[in-house]
Amino acid sequence: MSAPIKLAGVPGRGNRGSGPVVWAAIIAATCLLLVLFQKVLWFVVPFLLALILYYFLYPPVKVLIYRGMSREAAASLAILLFLGLVTAVGISLTPWVAGQLADGQDVVSRYMQGGLQLLDRSLRKLEAHWTTLANARLADTVAARLAQSAGGVADHLEPILIGIMAWTPSLLLAPFLAFFFLRDGHRFQRFLGAAVPNAFFEKTLYLLHRIDRTSRAYFQGLINLTVLDTVTLAAGLWLLGLPGPLALGLICAVLAWVPYVGSILGGLLVVLVAATDFPDAPHMAYWAIALFVMVRLLDDFVYMPLTIGKSLALHPLVTVLMIFVGGAVAGVAGLMLVLPVLGVVMVIGETIGVIVTDPRLRARHRHAQALRRKYASSDL
Amino acid sequence: MVNLFRPGKPSPRLERLRNLSLFVNLTPAELRIVDGLLHERDYLEGEVIFDEGDEGQAIYIVASGEVLICRPRQGDARRLAQLGAGTFFGELALLDDSPRSAQARAASACQLIVFFRDDFVGLLDTHARIASKILRELARHLGARMRAMAQAAGADQQLL
Repeated sequence: MSAPIKLAGVPGRGNRGSGPVVWAAIIAATCLLLVLFQKVLWFVVPFLLALILYYFLYPPVKVLIYRGMSREAAASLAILLFLGLVTAVGISLTPWVAGQLADGQDVVSRYMQGGLQLLDRSLRKLEAHWTTLANARLADTVAARLAQSAGGVADHLEPILIGIMAWTPSLLLAPFLAFFFLRDGHRFQRFLGAAVPNAFFEKTLYLLHRIDRTSRAYFQGLINLTVLDTVTLAAGLWLLGLPGPLALGLICAVLAWVPYVGSILGGLLVVLVAATDFPDAPHMAYWAIALFVMVRLLDDFVYMPLTIGKSLALHPLVTVLMIFVGGAVAGVAGLMLVLPVLGVVMVIGETIGVIVTDPRLRARHRHAQALRRKYASSDL
Repeated sequence: MVNLFRPGKPSPRLERLRNLSLFVNLTPAELRIVDGLLHERDYLEGEVIFDEGDEGQAIYIVASGEVLICRPRQGDARRLAQLGAGTFFGELALLDDSPRSAQARAASACQLIVFFRDDFVGLLDTHARIASKILRELARHLGARMRAMAQAAGADQQLL
Protein backbone atom coordinates (compact mmCIF):
# COMPACT_ATOMS: atom_id res chain seq x y z
CA MET A 1 0.00 0.00 0.00
CA SER A 2 1.22 3.48 -0.66
CA ALA A 3 2.38 5.83 1.99
CA PRO A 4 -0.46 7.45 3.92
CA ILE A 5 -1.42 10.94 2.90
CA LYS A 6 0.46 13.49 4.96
CA LEU A 7 -0.77 17.03 5.36
CA ALA A 8 1.97 18.63 7.33
CA GLY A 9 2.15 22.19 8.51
CA VAL A 10 -1.49 23.13 8.04
CA PRO A 11 -3.65 23.61 11.15
CA GLY A 12 -6.61 21.26 11.38
CA ARG A 13 -5.34 18.96 8.63
CA GLY A 14 -3.89 16.00 10.47
CA ASN A 15 -3.30 12.56 9.04
CA ARG A 16 -6.20 10.43 10.16
CA GLY A 17 -6.08 6.74 9.51
CA SER A 18 -9.20 4.84 8.57
CA GLY A 19 -11.31 4.40 11.69
CA PRO A 20 -13.91 1.73 12.44
CA VAL A 21 -16.66 3.77 10.74
CA VAL A 22 -14.74 3.97 7.47
CA TRP A 23 -13.89 0.27 7.64
CA ALA A 24 -17.50 -0.66 8.39
CA ALA A 25 -18.53 1.39 5.35
CA ILE A 26 -15.82 -0.29 3.23
CA ILE A 27 -16.99 -3.79 4.22
CA ALA A 28 -20.66 -2.88 3.74
CA ALA A 29 -19.94 -1.37 0.31
CA THR A 30 -17.93 -4.46 -0.67
CA CYS A 31 -20.81 -6.77 0.33
CA LEU A 32 -23.34 -4.60 -1.50
CA LEU A 33 -21.22 -4.59 -4.64
CA LEU A 34 -20.79 -8.36 -4.45
CA VAL A 35 -24.57 -8.83 -4.27
CA LEU A 36 -25.02 -6.46 -7.23
CA PHE A 37 -22.24 -8.13 -9.23
CA GLN A 38 -23.80 -11.52 -8.63
CA LYS A 39 -26.93 -10.25 -10.40
CA VAL A 40 -24.94 -9.16 -13.48
CA LEU A 41 -22.40 -11.96 -13.64
CA TRP A 42 -22.90 -12.14 -17.42
CA PHE A 43 -21.12 -8.79 -17.53
CA VAL A 44 -18.82 -8.95 -14.50
CA VAL A 45 -17.02 -12.16 -15.54
CA PRO A 46 -16.12 -10.95 -19.07
CA PHE A 47 -15.21 -7.58 -17.55
CA LEU A 48 -12.78 -9.28 -15.15
CA LEU A 49 -11.34 -11.42 -17.94
CA ALA A 50 -10.99 -8.27 -20.05
CA LEU A 51 -9.08 -6.61 -17.19
CA ILE A 52 -6.75 -9.61 -16.95
CA LEU A 53 -6.24 -9.51 -20.72
CA TYR A 54 -5.68 -5.74 -20.58
CA TYR A 55 -2.97 -6.01 -17.94
CA PHE A 56 -1.43 -8.94 -19.84
CA LEU A 57 -1.27 -7.02 -23.14
CA TYR A 58 -0.51 -3.58 -21.69
CA PRO A 59 3.33 -4.00 -21.62
CA PRO A 60 3.63 -5.03 -25.31
CA VAL A 61 1.24 -2.23 -26.32
CA LYS A 62 3.47 0.29 -24.52
CA VAL A 63 6.51 -1.09 -26.35
CA LEU A 64 4.73 -0.69 -29.70
CA ILE A 65 3.72 2.89 -28.85
CA TYR A 66 7.30 3.63 -27.86
CA ARG A 67 8.46 2.26 -31.23
CA GLY A 68 6.34 4.93 -32.89
CA MET A 69 3.01 3.18 -33.45
CA SER A 70 -0.20 5.04 -32.66
CA ARG A 71 -2.12 3.86 -29.60
CA GLU A 72 -5.05 2.70 -31.76
CA ALA A 73 -2.80 0.65 -34.05
CA ALA A 74 -0.85 -0.82 -31.12
CA ALA A 75 -4.04 -1.87 -29.30
CA SER A 76 -5.51 -3.36 -32.50
CA LEU A 77 -2.31 -5.26 -33.30
CA ALA A 78 -1.98 -6.65 -29.75
CA ILE A 79 -5.60 -7.86 -29.69
CA LEU A 80 -5.38 -9.29 -33.21
CA LEU A 81 -2.19 -11.18 -32.35
CA PHE A 82 -3.79 -12.52 -29.19
CA LEU A 83 -6.94 -13.60 -31.05
CA GLY A 84 -4.76 -15.14 -33.77
CA LEU A 85 -2.83 -17.09 -31.15
CA VAL A 86 -6.03 -18.29 -29.47
CA THR A 87 -7.47 -19.28 -32.85
CA ALA A 88 -4.28 -21.16 -33.81
CA VAL A 89 -4.25 -23.03 -30.49
CA GLY A 90 -7.99 -23.73 -30.89
CA ILE A 91 -7.56 -25.10 -34.42
CA SER A 92 -4.61 -27.28 -33.42
CA LEU A 93 -6.58 -28.65 -30.47
CA THR A 94 -9.82 -29.17 -32.42
CA PRO A 95 -9.11 -32.79 -33.53
CA TRP A 96 -8.21 -33.78 -29.97
CA VAL A 97 -11.25 -31.97 -28.46
CA ALA A 98 -13.55 -33.49 -31.10
CA GLY A 99 -12.20 -36.94 -30.25
CA GLN A 100 -12.76 -36.31 -26.55
CA LEU A 101 -16.29 -34.99 -27.13
CA ALA A 102 -17.20 -37.97 -29.33
CA ASP A 103 -16.74 -40.32 -26.43
CA GLY A 104 -17.09 -37.59 -23.80
CA GLN A 105 -19.64 -39.48 -21.73
CA ASP A 106 -17.40 -42.57 -21.67
CA VAL A 107 -14.34 -40.51 -20.69
CA VAL A 108 -16.16 -38.78 -17.84
CA SER A 109 -17.64 -42.10 -16.68
CA ARG A 110 -14.21 -43.70 -16.77
CA TYR A 111 -12.62 -40.95 -14.68
CA MET A 112 -15.55 -40.91 -12.22
CA GLN A 113 -15.27 -44.67 -11.90
CA GLY A 114 -11.51 -44.42 -11.38
CA GLY A 115 -12.04 -41.90 -8.59
CA LEU A 116 -14.73 -44.00 -6.92
CA GLN A 117 -12.53 -47.10 -7.07
CA LEU A 118 -9.65 -45.19 -5.46
CA LEU A 119 -11.98 -43.96 -2.71
CA ASP A 120 -13.31 -47.46 -2.15
CA ARG A 121 -9.83 -48.99 -2.04
CA SER A 122 -8.59 -46.33 0.36
CA LEU A 123 -11.57 -46.77 2.71
CA ARG A 124 -11.15 -50.56 2.72
CA LYS A 125 -7.48 -50.12 3.60
CA LEU A 126 -8.51 -47.86 6.47
CA GLU A 127 -11.08 -50.43 7.59
CA ALA A 128 -8.33 -53.09 7.61
CA HIS A 129 -6.33 -50.98 10.06
CA TRP A 130 -9.17 -49.53 12.18
CA THR A 131 -11.71 -52.01 13.53
CA THR A 132 -14.10 -49.18 14.45
CA LEU A 133 -14.33 -48.17 10.81
CA ALA A 134 -14.69 -51.83 9.77
CA ASN A 135 -17.54 -52.31 12.24
CA ALA A 136 -19.24 -49.22 10.85
CA ARG A 137 -18.85 -50.68 7.33
CA LEU A 138 -17.61 -47.25 6.20
CA ALA A 139 -16.65 -48.29 2.64
CA ASP A 140 -20.03 -49.87 1.92
CA THR A 141 -21.96 -46.99 3.45
CA VAL A 142 -20.02 -44.37 1.43
CA ALA A 143 -20.34 -46.43 -1.78
CA ALA A 144 -24.10 -46.78 -1.27
CA ARG A 145 -24.52 -43.06 -0.57
CA LEU A 146 -22.46 -42.09 -3.65
CA ALA A 147 -24.37 -44.53 -5.88
CA GLN A 148 -27.61 -43.07 -4.54
CA SER A 149 -26.67 -39.42 -5.15
CA ALA A 150 -24.41 -39.60 -8.21
CA GLY A 151 -27.03 -40.47 -10.82
CA GLY A 152 -26.06 -40.78 -14.46
CA VAL A 153 -23.10 -38.93 -15.99
CA ALA A 154 -25.44 -37.37 -18.54
CA ASP A 155 -27.37 -35.75 -15.68
CA HIS A 156 -24.21 -33.85 -14.70
CA LEU A 157 -22.85 -33.22 -18.18
CA GLU A 158 -25.98 -31.65 -19.57
CA PRO A 159 -26.13 -28.59 -17.27
CA ILE A 160 -22.38 -28.07 -17.70
CA LEU A 161 -22.64 -28.08 -21.49
CA ILE A 162 -25.69 -25.80 -21.43
CA GLY A 163 -23.83 -23.46 -19.06
CA ILE A 164 -20.82 -23.32 -21.39
CA MET A 165 -23.05 -22.57 -24.38
CA ALA A 166 -24.93 -19.88 -22.45
CA TRP A 167 -21.71 -18.21 -21.29
CA THR A 168 -19.85 -18.28 -24.62
CA PRO A 169 -21.43 -15.11 -26.13
CA SER A 170 -20.76 -13.04 -23.02
CA LEU A 171 -17.20 -14.39 -22.76
CA LEU A 172 -16.60 -13.17 -26.31
CA LEU A 173 -17.08 -9.68 -24.84
CA ALA A 174 -13.72 -9.99 -23.02
CA PRO A 175 -11.33 -9.31 -25.96
CA PHE A 176 -13.72 -6.62 -27.24
CA LEU A 177 -13.65 -4.84 -23.86
CA ALA A 178 -9.89 -5.37 -23.51
CA PHE A 179 -9.32 -3.65 -26.85
CA PHE A 180 -11.17 -0.54 -25.69
CA PHE A 181 -9.39 -0.58 -22.32
CA LEU A 182 -6.07 -0.63 -24.19
CA ARG A 183 -7.09 2.03 -26.67
CA ASP A 184 -9.02 4.46 -24.48
CA GLY A 185 -7.98 3.63 -20.91
CA HIS A 186 -5.84 6.76 -20.56
CA ARG A 187 -8.73 8.93 -21.80
CA PHE A 188 -10.96 7.49 -19.08
CA GLN A 189 -8.62 8.71 -16.35
CA ARG A 190 -8.43 12.15 -17.99
CA PHE A 191 -12.20 12.17 -18.39
CA LEU A 192 -12.72 11.41 -14.70
CA GLY A 193 -10.03 13.92 -13.70
CA ALA A 194 -11.62 16.65 -15.84
CA ALA A 195 -14.93 16.20 -14.01
CA VAL A 196 -13.35 16.90 -10.62
CA PRO A 197 -13.15 20.48 -9.26
CA ASN A 198 -9.65 21.97 -9.07
CA ALA A 199 -9.56 21.89 -5.27
CA PHE A 200 -9.98 18.10 -5.15
CA PHE A 201 -8.07 17.35 -8.33
CA GLU A 202 -4.72 16.24 -6.88
CA LYS A 203 -6.31 14.06 -4.22
CA THR A 204 -8.73 12.50 -6.70
CA LEU A 205 -6.01 11.74 -9.22
CA TYR A 206 -4.00 10.25 -6.39
CA LEU A 207 -7.03 8.05 -5.65
CA LEU A 208 -7.32 6.99 -9.31
CA HIS A 209 -3.63 6.19 -9.40
CA ARG A 210 -3.93 4.08 -6.28
CA ILE A 211 -6.90 2.19 -7.72
CA ASP A 212 -5.02 1.64 -10.97
CA ARG A 213 -1.90 0.57 -9.06
CA THR A 214 -3.90 -1.77 -6.82
CA SER A 215 -5.79 -3.44 -9.66
CA ARG A 216 -2.71 -3.58 -11.91
CA ALA A 217 -0.67 -5.19 -9.14
CA TYR A 218 -3.53 -7.60 -8.35
CA PHE A 219 -4.17 -8.77 -11.91
CA GLN A 220 -0.51 -8.87 -12.93
CA GLY A 221 0.12 -10.74 -9.67
CA LEU A 222 -2.67 -13.13 -10.62
CA ILE A 223 -1.08 -13.75 -14.02
CA ASN A 224 2.33 -14.33 -12.41
CA LEU A 225 0.77 -16.62 -9.81
CA THR A 226 -0.95 -18.63 -12.54
CA VAL A 227 2.34 -19.05 -14.42
CA LEU A 228 4.20 -20.11 -11.24
CA ASP A 229 1.44 -22.56 -10.24
CA THR A 230 1.27 -24.00 -13.76
CA VAL A 231 5.03 -24.52 -14.00
CA THR A 232 5.33 -26.05 -10.52
CA LEU A 233 2.34 -28.38 -10.95
CA ALA A 234 3.36 -29.36 -14.48
CA ALA A 235 6.90 -30.16 -13.31
CA GLY A 236 5.57 -32.26 -10.43
CA LEU A 237 3.01 -34.10 -12.57
CA TRP A 238 5.63 -34.71 -15.25
CA LEU A 239 7.98 -36.21 -12.65
CA LEU A 240 5.13 -38.44 -11.45
CA GLY A 241 4.54 -39.52 -15.04
CA LEU A 242 0.93 -38.33 -15.37
CA PRO A 243 -0.35 -37.61 -18.88
CA GLY A 244 -0.75 -33.99 -20.11
CA PRO A 245 1.08 -32.38 -17.17
CA LEU A 246 1.11 -28.87 -18.69
CA ALA A 247 -2.61 -28.85 -19.52
CA LEU A 248 -3.50 -30.27 -16.09
CA GLY A 249 -1.24 -27.74 -14.37
CA LEU A 250 -2.78 -24.85 -16.30
CA ILE A 251 -6.36 -25.99 -15.59
CA CYS A 252 -5.60 -26.32 -11.87
CA ALA A 253 -3.85 -22.93 -11.78
CA VAL A 254 -6.81 -21.21 -13.47
CA LEU A 255 -9.28 -23.01 -11.18
CA ALA A 256 -7.28 -21.67 -8.22
CA TRP A 257 -8.48 -18.14 -9.16
CA VAL A 258 -11.55 -19.09 -7.13
CA PRO A 259 -10.24 -19.33 -3.55
CA TYR A 260 -10.69 -22.70 -1.77
CA VAL A 261 -13.37 -24.14 -4.08
CA GLY A 262 -11.14 -23.84 -7.16
CA SER A 263 -8.19 -25.46 -5.39
CA ILE A 264 -10.33 -28.39 -4.23
CA LEU A 265 -11.71 -28.90 -7.74
CA GLY A 266 -8.20 -28.77 -9.22
CA GLY A 267 -6.92 -31.29 -6.68
CA LEU A 268 -9.88 -33.58 -7.37
CA LEU A 269 -9.19 -33.41 -11.10
CA VAL A 270 -5.54 -34.41 -10.66
CA VAL A 271 -6.46 -37.28 -8.32
CA LEU A 272 -9.14 -38.56 -10.72
CA VAL A 273 -6.64 -38.58 -13.59
CA ALA A 274 -4.00 -40.36 -11.49
CA ALA A 275 -6.49 -42.91 -10.13
CA THR A 276 -7.93 -43.70 -13.57
CA ASP A 277 -4.77 -43.76 -15.66
CA PHE A 278 -2.91 -45.84 -13.07
CA PRO A 279 -5.65 -48.13 -11.67
CA ASP A 280 -3.15 -50.70 -10.42
CA ALA A 281 -0.89 -48.15 -8.76
CA PRO A 282 -2.92 -46.34 -6.09
CA HIS A 283 0.27 -44.80 -4.75
CA MET A 284 0.23 -42.53 -7.86
CA ALA A 285 -3.00 -40.93 -6.66
CA TYR A 286 -1.53 -40.50 -3.16
CA TRP A 287 1.61 -38.92 -4.67
CA ALA A 288 -0.65 -36.63 -6.73
CA ILE A 289 -2.47 -35.59 -3.54
CA ALA A 290 0.88 -35.00 -1.79
CA LEU A 291 2.08 -32.93 -4.76
CA PHE A 292 -1.10 -30.90 -4.77
CA VAL A 293 -0.92 -30.20 -1.02
CA MET A 294 2.74 -29.22 -1.40
CA VAL A 295 1.96 -26.83 -4.25
CA ARG A 296 -0.93 -25.32 -2.25
CA LEU A 297 1.42 -24.71 0.70
CA LEU A 298 4.04 -23.27 -1.63
CA ASP A 299 1.32 -21.14 -3.18
CA ASP A 300 -0.02 -19.85 0.14
CA PHE A 301 3.30 -19.17 1.85
CA VAL A 302 5.69 -18.28 -1.00
CA TYR A 303 4.01 -17.51 -4.34
CA MET A 304 0.94 -15.65 -3.07
CA PRO A 305 2.89 -13.23 -0.81
CA LEU A 306 5.33 -12.65 -3.69
CA THR A 307 2.61 -11.87 -6.22
CA ILE A 308 -0.94 -10.98 -5.11
CA GLY A 309 -0.27 -10.59 -1.39
CA LYS A 310 1.89 -7.51 -1.87
CA SER A 311 -0.61 -5.86 -4.20
CA LEU A 312 -3.55 -5.47 -1.85
CA ALA A 313 -1.59 -5.06 1.39
CA LEU A 314 -4.48 -6.53 3.33
CA HIS A 315 -4.07 -8.00 6.79
CA PRO A 316 -4.14 -11.83 6.46
CA LEU A 317 -7.02 -12.05 8.98
CA VAL A 318 -9.08 -9.51 6.98
CA THR A 319 -8.28 -11.44 3.78
CA VAL A 320 -9.51 -14.77 5.17
CA LEU A 321 -12.58 -13.26 6.84
CA MET A 322 -13.55 -11.37 3.72
CA ILE A 323 -13.19 -14.51 1.58
CA PHE A 324 -15.71 -16.22 3.87
CA VAL A 325 -17.98 -13.14 3.82
CA GLY A 326 -17.74 -13.03 0.01
CA GLY A 327 -18.66 -16.70 -0.24
CA ALA A 328 -21.60 -16.25 2.15
CA VAL A 329 -22.91 -13.14 0.37
CA ALA A 330 -22.44 -14.11 -3.29
CA GLY A 331 -21.39 -17.76 -3.47
CA VAL A 332 -18.60 -18.81 -5.85
CA ALA A 333 -18.74 -15.43 -7.63
CA GLY A 334 -18.25 -13.75 -4.25
CA LEU A 335 -15.22 -15.93 -3.50
CA MET A 336 -13.65 -14.93 -6.78
CA LEU A 337 -14.52 -11.23 -6.67
CA VAL A 338 -14.21 -10.35 -3.01
CA LEU A 339 -10.48 -9.52 -2.89
CA PRO A 340 -10.22 -7.26 -5.95
CA VAL A 341 -13.49 -5.52 -5.03
CA LEU A 342 -12.35 -5.02 -1.44
CA GLY A 343 -8.98 -3.68 -2.63
CA VAL A 344 -10.61 -1.05 -4.83
CA VAL A 345 -13.35 -0.11 -2.31
CA MET A 346 -10.71 0.18 0.41
CA VAL A 347 -8.69 2.71 -1.60
CA ILE A 348 -11.81 4.70 -2.55
CA GLY A 349 -13.15 4.68 1.02
CA GLU A 350 -9.89 5.78 2.60
CA THR A 351 -9.29 8.58 0.10
CA ILE A 352 -12.86 9.89 0.09
CA GLY A 353 -12.62 9.96 3.89
CA VAL A 354 -9.54 12.19 3.61
CA ILE A 355 -11.11 14.51 1.01
CA VAL A 356 -14.49 14.92 2.69
CA THR A 357 -13.02 15.59 6.13
CA ASP A 358 -10.49 18.19 4.94
CA PRO A 359 -11.88 21.68 5.77
CA ARG A 360 -9.17 23.49 3.80
CA LEU A 361 -9.98 21.64 0.56
CA ARG A 362 -13.67 22.41 1.00
CA ALA A 363 -12.87 26.08 1.69
CA ARG A 364 -10.72 26.24 -1.45
CA HIS A 365 -13.53 24.71 -3.47
CA ARG A 366 -16.02 27.29 -2.15
CA HIS A 367 -13.55 30.06 -2.96
CA ALA A 368 -13.09 28.75 -6.52
CA GLN A 369 -16.88 28.53 -6.96
CA ALA A 370 -17.26 32.15 -5.79
CA LEU A 371 -14.56 33.24 -8.25
CA ARG A 372 -16.29 31.43 -11.10
CA ARG A 373 -19.67 32.96 -10.23
CA LYS A 374 -18.07 36.40 -10.12
CA TYR A 375 -16.32 35.79 -13.45
CA ALA A 376 -19.51 34.51 -15.07
CA SER A 377 -21.43 37.65 -14.13
CA SER A 378 -18.62 40.17 -14.51
CA ASP A 379 -19.93 41.76 -17.72
CA LEU A 380 -23.65 41.57 -16.94
CA MET B 1 3.76 -0.75 -48.01
CA VAL B 2 2.29 0.88 -44.94
CA ASN B 3 4.93 1.67 -42.35
CA LEU B 4 3.18 1.36 -39.02
CA PHE B 5 6.19 2.70 -37.16
CA ARG B 6 6.61 5.80 -39.33
CA PRO B 7 6.51 8.86 -37.06
CA GLY B 8 3.46 10.91 -38.03
CA LYS B 9 3.35 14.68 -38.22
CA PRO B 10 3.35 16.07 -34.68
CA SER B 11 0.01 17.59 -33.70
CA PRO B 12 -0.16 21.22 -32.54
CA ARG B 13 -0.60 19.89 -29.03
CA LEU B 14 2.67 17.92 -29.31
CA GLU B 15 4.42 20.95 -30.79
CA ARG B 16 3.28 22.98 -27.81
CA LEU B 17 4.58 20.31 -25.43
CA ARG B 18 7.93 20.23 -27.21
CA ASN B 19 8.31 23.95 -26.60
CA LEU B 20 8.08 23.43 -22.84
CA SER B 21 11.50 23.43 -21.21
CA LEU B 22 10.89 20.17 -19.33
CA PHE B 23 10.21 18.21 -22.52
CA VAL B 24 12.54 20.03 -24.88
CA ASN B 25 14.77 16.99 -25.52
CA LEU B 26 11.98 14.47 -26.20
CA THR B 27 11.39 13.02 -29.67
CA PRO B 28 7.85 13.08 -31.14
CA ALA B 29 7.36 9.39 -30.23
CA GLU B 30 8.50 10.09 -26.67
CA LEU B 31 6.30 13.19 -26.48
CA ARG B 32 3.33 11.08 -27.56
CA ILE B 33 3.90 8.75 -24.62
CA VAL B 34 4.29 11.63 -22.17
CA ASP B 35 1.24 13.38 -23.64
CA GLY B 36 -0.87 10.37 -22.66
CA LEU B 37 0.06 11.01 -19.03
CA LEU B 38 -0.61 14.75 -18.80
CA HIS B 39 -3.70 16.55 -17.53
CA GLU B 40 -4.86 20.07 -18.32
CA ARG B 41 -6.49 22.36 -15.77
CA ASP B 42 -7.91 25.89 -16.05
CA TYR B 43 -7.65 28.30 -13.10
CA LEU B 44 -9.16 31.73 -12.60
CA GLU B 45 -7.20 34.68 -11.23
CA GLY B 46 -6.85 34.30 -7.47
CA GLU B 47 -7.64 30.59 -7.39
CA VAL B 48 -5.37 28.49 -5.18
CA ILE B 49 -3.54 25.76 -7.11
CA PHE B 50 -1.97 24.17 -4.05
CA ASP B 51 -1.32 25.19 -0.48
CA GLU B 52 1.85 25.34 1.50
CA GLY B 53 1.99 22.07 3.48
CA ASP B 54 0.01 20.01 0.96
CA GLU B 55 1.55 16.70 0.07
CA GLY B 56 3.09 17.25 -3.35
CA GLN B 57 1.66 14.86 -5.92
CA ALA B 58 2.40 16.58 -9.21
CA ILE B 59 4.50 19.07 -11.11
CA TYR B 60 2.65 21.96 -12.81
CA ILE B 61 3.70 23.45 -16.13
CA VAL B 62 2.31 26.85 -17.10
CA ALA B 63 0.82 26.55 -20.59
CA SER B 64 -0.65 30.07 -20.54
CA GLY B 65 -1.21 32.84 -18.00
CA GLU B 66 0.77 33.56 -14.84
CA VAL B 67 1.17 31.90 -11.46
CA LEU B 68 2.20 33.49 -8.18
CA ILE B 69 4.31 31.58 -5.64
CA CYS B 70 4.01 32.96 -2.09
CA ARG B 71 3.88 32.04 1.61
CA PRO B 72 0.81 33.74 3.11
CA ARG B 73 0.47 31.22 5.96
CA GLN B 74 3.80 32.16 7.52
CA GLY B 75 2.77 35.79 7.72
CA ASP B 76 5.06 36.43 4.77
CA ALA B 77 2.88 37.82 2.01
CA ARG B 78 5.85 38.56 -0.27
CA ARG B 79 5.72 36.99 -3.65
CA LEU B 80 8.54 34.50 -4.01
CA ALA B 81 8.15 34.26 -7.74
CA GLN B 82 5.78 35.00 -10.58
CA LEU B 83 5.93 32.41 -13.34
CA GLY B 84 4.87 32.74 -16.95
CA ALA B 85 4.09 30.42 -19.83
CA GLY B 86 6.61 27.62 -20.45
CA THR B 87 7.90 27.54 -16.87
CA PHE B 88 7.07 24.93 -14.26
CA PHE B 89 6.68 24.74 -10.49
CA GLY B 90 6.13 22.16 -7.75
CA GLU B 91 8.89 20.11 -9.36
CA LEU B 92 10.11 18.59 -6.09
CA ALA B 93 6.87 16.59 -6.05
CA LEU B 94 8.30 14.48 -8.86
CA LEU B 95 11.10 13.41 -6.54
CA ASP B 96 9.37 12.80 -3.21
CA ASP B 97 6.12 13.37 -1.32
CA SER B 98 7.40 16.10 0.96
CA PRO B 99 5.01 18.95 1.82
CA ARG B 100 4.78 21.89 -0.58
CA SER B 101 7.10 24.66 0.62
CA ALA B 102 4.90 27.52 -0.63
CA GLN B 103 1.45 28.31 -1.95
CA ALA B 104 0.78 28.53 -5.69
CA ARG B 105 -2.02 30.81 -6.82
CA ALA B 106 -3.17 31.88 -10.27
CA ALA B 107 -1.95 35.46 -10.84
CA SER B 108 -4.15 35.62 -13.93
CA ALA B 109 -6.52 33.23 -15.65
CA CYS B 110 -4.18 30.41 -16.62
CA GLN B 111 -4.01 26.96 -18.13
CA LEU B 112 -1.71 24.46 -16.45
CA ILE B 113 -0.41 21.08 -17.55
CA VAL B 114 -0.18 18.62 -14.67
CA PHE B 115 2.23 15.69 -14.53
CA PHE B 116 1.69 13.29 -11.63
CA ARG B 117 4.49 11.68 -9.68
CA ASP B 118 2.93 8.23 -10.00
CA ASP B 119 2.89 8.60 -13.77
CA PHE B 120 6.49 9.75 -13.69
CA VAL B 121 7.50 6.79 -11.50
CA GLY B 122 5.71 4.51 -13.97
CA LEU B 123 7.67 6.17 -16.76
CA LEU B 124 10.92 5.50 -14.90
CA ASP B 125 10.00 1.80 -14.84
CA THR B 126 8.76 1.47 -18.39
CA HIS B 127 10.55 4.19 -20.36
CA ALA B 128 13.70 4.99 -18.43
CA ARG B 129 15.14 6.88 -21.41
CA ILE B 130 12.25 9.37 -21.49
CA ALA B 131 12.28 9.71 -17.70
CA SER B 132 16.04 10.35 -17.70
CA LYS B 133 15.66 13.12 -20.27
CA ILE B 134 12.99 14.78 -18.11
CA LEU B 135 15.11 14.29 -15.00
CA ARG B 136 18.09 15.92 -16.71
CA GLU B 137 16.03 19.02 -17.48
CA LEU B 138 14.75 19.00 -13.92
CA ALA B 139 18.30 18.73 -12.55
CA ARG B 140 19.41 21.62 -14.79
CA HIS B 141 16.52 23.71 -13.51
CA LEU B 142 17.29 22.91 -9.86
CA GLY B 143 20.99 23.59 -10.44
CA ALA B 144 20.24 26.99 -11.98
CA ARG B 145 18.00 27.82 -9.04
CA MET B 146 20.70 26.79 -6.53
CA ARG B 147 23.25 28.95 -8.34
CA ALA B 148 20.86 31.89 -8.28
CA MET B 149 20.26 31.39 -4.56
CA ALA B 150 24.00 31.13 -3.88
CA GLN B 151 24.62 34.28 -5.87
CA ALA B 152 21.85 36.09 -4.00
CA ALA B 153 23.30 34.96 -0.66
CA GLY B 154 26.78 36.11 -1.78
CA ALA B 155 25.41 39.52 -2.77
CA ASP B 156 23.70 39.86 0.60
CA GLN B 157 26.96 39.04 2.39
CA GLN B 158 28.80 41.61 0.32
CA LEU B 159 26.16 44.17 1.26
CA LEU B 160 26.65 43.34 4.93
